[in-house]
Formats: sequence, C-alpha cells, structure tokens
Amino acid sequence: MCHRRNGKEGDIPVRRLRLTPLLLVSAVAALLLIACDRNPGANVTSIKVVIADYSRDHTRPFWQILSETYTKQTGVKVDLQVVDWNSIDQQITTMIQNNQPPDVLNLNSFSSYAKDGLLHSADQVMSVKTKDDFLATFTRGGEYQGKLYGFPILSSARAFFYNKDLLARAGVGAPPKTWDEFVRAAQRVQALGKGTIGYALPLGPEEAQAEWSVWMWNNGGDWKSGDRWMINSDKNLQTLQFLSDLANKHKVTQVNPGKTNRTDGAFQLFKDGKVGMVMGFSPLAKQLDAEGKVNYGVAEMPTNAGTAVTLAVEDYLMAFKKPGNQEAVTKFLELYYQPETITRWITAEGFLPVTKSGLDRMRADPKVKPYLDALPNAKLVPTTDAAWDKVKLDVQQNIGLAVQPGGNPKQVLDQLQRNATAAAGGR
Amino acid sequence: MRGPRRARRATGWQALLWLGPSLALIGGVVAYPAAQLIRASLSQYSVTGLYQGSVGLRNYARLLRQEALTTVVANTVVWVTVIVVVALLMSLGLAQFLDKRFPGRRLVRWALIVPWAASLIMTSKLFVWIYDYYFGILNPVLQSLGVLDHPVDWLGDDSTVMGAMITVGIFVSLPFTTYVLLAGLQAIPPDVFEAARVDGASAWRTYRLVTFPLLRPALLVAAVLNIIYVFNSFPIVWTLNDRNPGFGHDTMITYMYKIAFKSSLRDVGLAAALGVVNVLLILLAVLVYLRSVRWHAQEA
Repeated sequence: MCHRRNGKEGDIPVRRLRLTPLLLVSAVAALLLIACDRNPGANVTSIKVVIADYSRDHTRPFWQILSETYTKQTGVKVDLQVVDWNSIDQQITTMIQNNQPPDVLNLNSFSSYAKDGLLHSADQVMSVKTKDDFLATFTRGGEYQGKLYGFPILSSARAFFYNKDLLARAGVGAPPKTWDEFVRAAQRVQALGKGTIGYALPLGPEEAQAEWSVWMWNNGGDWKSGDRWMINSDKNLQTLQFLSDLANKHKVTQVNPGKTNRTDGAFQLFKDGKVGMVMGFSPLAKQLDAEGKVNYGVAEMPTNAGTAVTLAVEDYLMAFKKPGNQEAVTKFLELYYQPETITRWITAEGFLPVTKSGLDRMRADPKVKPYLDALPNAKLVPTTDAAWDKVKLDVQQNIGLAVQPGGNPKQVLDQLQRNATAAAGGR
Repeated sequence: MRGPRRARRATGWQALLWLGPSLALIGGVVAYPAAQLIRASLSQYSVTGLYQGSVGLRNYARLLRQEALTTVVANTVVWVTVIVVVALLMSLGLAQFLDKRFPGRRLVRWALIVPWAASLIMTSKLFVWIYDYYFGILNPVLQSLGVLDHPVDWLGDDSTVMGAMITVGIFVSLPFTTYVLLAGLQAIPPDVFEAARVDGASAWRTYRLVTFPLLRPALLVAAVLNIIYVFNSFPIVWTLNDRNPGFGHDTMITYMYKIAFKSSLRDVGLAAALGVVNVLLILLAVLVYLRSVRWHAQEA
C-alpha cells in the first residue's frame, strides 16, 4: 500500500517538473493561496467533503445534490469524495499525513482527531438550535473532554433476527429471551440437519467489536468502568467462554466463527435461509425485504442479565480546523442538518435518526419501529475515548482467535486489556 | 575543431531535453516517493496520521520487537519460494506446449492470457467463492470425486489457508511466466535444433543440452521479475485472508498495511519502516539469486 500511496504522491512532481512554465504559474498561485490562507479575514472558496459510502444507490446521489444546493446558496465549491469503508481509514490518514485534511469528514470515530486538536467543536461551526436537536445519547457519544466534536450523522441499532420458518420447524415457539433459551433454540435448529446452522456468529476482523459488545452487555459486562478499561473482567471472560462454547461445545454455529466476517459470512448465510438466528441491523432487513427469500422476524437480544441491551452505532461528521473555513463549514453542516434533509437521507439508507425532529418524523414507519423501540436500551461503544480507535482494531484482530478450537479466552482478554491500558496511557 | 565541439555540446543539451521527461518521471515516481518513505520511517505519527516529529531509528527497533514478525517473514519466504518455483516449472512445460503447432493454438494462447488480464482483486474474489465452505464449488467437486470425506474450510482452517492462497498465486503467475519463456523459446534459432537432429540427439537430450541452456536468459528474467511481483503481491493475500484474525497468514506486504491501518498499532511510521525493509529485502533476494545463477558468467 505504501507503494500505492507514494505513487499518488509521485504524480504531482512529475507534472510540475515536466511543465516548467506551469510550475511557475502554479507556484505563484500557491503562494497567493497561502497568502490568502494566512489572512484570517479571508474565507475559503472551496471545501473538501469526504463521505463514507453507505450504499451505492443513495450515498453519492444525496451528497451530490446537497453539494450543488450548497454551492448555489453560498458560491463555495465542494470537492466531494465518497470513499469506500474499506479504504477510508487509509485515505484519511494519508490526507492528514500530507497535511491536506478534509474540511468535513464522515467517519465512525472522532476522538483521536479531537485529541490531536484537528477539529472545530460544535460551538464554532453549529447553531445552538441544530446542536440542541441532537438526541442526548448521541450528543454524549460525540463528546471529547466535555465538548461536542463528533456530530452525529446517522445511527443504527442491532437487533436479533430469526428465521421464522426454521424456528417453527425446530419447534421453537417464540424467539429466545434468555441465554439458556437461546442455546436450546440454537441446538434445535442445528439439529434440523442438512447444513442448518443454529446461530451465525461473526467474530472475524470486519466487525467483531460489535458482535462482542452486544453479548458482553447482555451478560452485565462492559468495556470500561468509569475511566478504567476492564475488558478482562470476570463477567467478560464468562461471556467469551460462552461464545466459545457455542462454537466448540454445543456446536451450534457455522464453521470457524472466529474467522467469519459479518457481511459476506453471517449475513450471507442468513439471507440464504441456512441460519436460524443472527444479530442484524436495519440495512440487513432492507436486503431481506428486497430479496423476499427468508421469512424473518426481529426481536430483542437474548440476555443473561435481566434486561435486553443492544448496540447503537453512531457515525459522525467532523469539521477540520483549516484557516478561513469556519463559515463555509458551518453553512454546509446547517444545510445537512435541516430536519427534512437529514431525514430524507437516513430513511433512504435504512438507518436510524440522530435528531429529535428526525425521531418524530420516522416514528410512524412500522419498519423502523422495532429499532426505535430498542434505542432506549441501546448502548454505544466507547468512541469518546481516544484509545477506542486502537482498542477496536485490537478486538477485531484478536477476539476471533479465542473462539477457535484450542483458543484461550482468558489469554486473549488479558492481552486486550494490557493493550487498551497502554493505549489509554498515550504514546 | 570548433564545428564538431559545438555540435557535441548541442547534442548534450538535446540529449538532456529528450531524457528530461523520463528523468523527471524517475525522479517523481521512484526517487521522491522513496525519499518520502524513508523520511516517514524515521518519524512518529499519531493514530490519525498527524506528524509528531522525528524519532530516528526507533521505528526500526520497534519493528524487530514485533511478535508477529517471525511468522510473517516465514510466511513470506514460503509464499515467494513456492509460487516462483512451481510457476516456473509449470510454465516451462506450458511454454514448450504452446511453442508447438497444433490446431487451436491461438485460442489456447489467448485463454492463458485471461487470468493475467483480469484484475487481481476480481480473481481473488472469485477464488474466495470457489473455496467457500458453504457456497463454494471446490468442496462438492472434491467430495463427489471421493477425494474428501468432509468439506474443508479452505480459507478458515489454519492448515489450508496458505496453500489456498499459493494456488491462486501460481494461477495468476503462470501467464506472464509462460509468455516470457515462450518468447525465449522462439528466440532460439531453428538451426541449432536441426544440428541436434542431424547428430541424432534424442528429444530429451536436445531439450537438456540445447533448449534449456539457451532458455536460461529468459528463465533468469522470469525468475527475477516473478520474485519481485510475488513478494509485492497484495490483493491475493488480502482478499483470501480477510476473514482471519491476527497475522498468522500475512506476508510482509499485507502485514505492512495492517500495521498502518488495521491493527491496534495503527502506525504509519512503523509501517514505513517495514516498507523500507521490504525494499531492501527484495533487492537482497534478487542479488542473492543472481549470484547463485552466476549472472556474470551468463553475460560472458
């Protein structure tokens, strides 16, 4: 990848060297631009907006239109880049490394950027009205050291999906509510044979932290206690052992759950009707509805701690501090956060609202209801802790190893805990 | 005297003018990125990619302390050696075959180019679905042939992942290698074969004593370029191994990417240090190889 990245860097000097007159012109232009930038009164004439690609059909069209509207209103041009989730971390890192950060960025993390002092806080780029419209949970989920830096862009919540036909055939009357019921249900579905799988457990690197979070919380465990990481607590060890048992003792999961990703693994199997139960979210429901192949139901997570807890995921918009961009960025954010605008996009993508006004608008939709009902009991992963960006990757790369045959849950959790503590200590 | 000298000077300038674009290209695509890579390897960056100052050789020292390094280096050695050796051996046969005249030769030659022309990511994705435990066609085929009793999770089972990836690596290396060797075969003048025939040499003897020695330059080129390509290959390992946690099946190239963006290290400086090591290592490997086949003897 370094080769690829450096290749890109290399392109620029080639052109410059080859076209000496152009070099001079651009050098002068660059100097002028720098001069403009240095002048605090001057405002930028274009902003770079980097958006993660949620879906082929909706993401680019929506942001394209929004950008055009914005340019019409303000005269400021938008350099819009819609980037695939697989490469967005790499691209953003490269931009910042080359001192060319975006003005507005959409990502699933924010606190490292806030910690590095790269971001405008909400007070600088957002009206009080817009800020107050955010649901309290999501405002809290975007705060770093008491200030809002990660503006909620959309949210999603996990829910428990079950294949009604398979559960009925296995004689399971209702979706399981406790872990014991869950194991029994999974065993019965698995016993149907012909490659039927009780529960599809994706603990491969793609999204292991999400799957793990939900099981962990439903056993009363957590990532942190106060300011301290407590990944290797007894509760969590019990949870990981439980997941390992599902795979190795009860044998009610697909083969190698520690090496199965979510999208092309667990979801694919569920969409194919092979799986009794899986932890899904609203975009999966959209795909299932479109394909019409699986008769599925959505329920609360089975719990071992009394109350079912689910995971809410909040994605963010961030505004990078760049000379003269404050006004332009403010106007861009205000445009997105118009209640009808943000709701139109969130609805199209099949996600959940992050604003009070959006919640009111979306409540009527019966498809969204199960997730909205789950939101009050939803928890967020600790994105507000700057160490999270490393902890998340560590969990993704390691927790799957614990549920493999011969895996050692305690050793894996202890190592995660050590790394989390080290990351929190700052390096 | 004056005339020619002036002419020569003019040629010098002219030469520079003509060489300029390619020099600029080399400067821009080779020298500048290399300098940037080295600079990055001596620097510290935060998780976000923000430059935090120079740290001298500390990244290199940290690199050597990474637990996964031994596994990754061993993987890389296996990955490169097996693919290059097997691809060369198979290509020797294929090239010999394609050199013969037979009906449909053109079609076969074209067919061989396809895996080369297809994007590596696409080929790799295709193989992911071929190997897949639940949806793949490999398991049913092998089971119906009686080769396997039980389906195998080719990409999830630690004992089969590397083999599965190497198979794809060989598959995509064959076209290029075969064509280099085919070109080498066709460059051999027909009269040497004629002479061999006149002398009554058997087919095997002709191959061993005439064809193979004359093919050595082409073989050398194919080997060196393949070592470099295979070592630097990213998409196959990345795509086929993406479901596996940890670094157990990574090569130095995918490990470098994971250090920078996908592991808890998330460290561009450390990854750049590995990048520099990778470049040096591949140079060293090629030099050692050229030495062992006595490059200079060949030239003479």
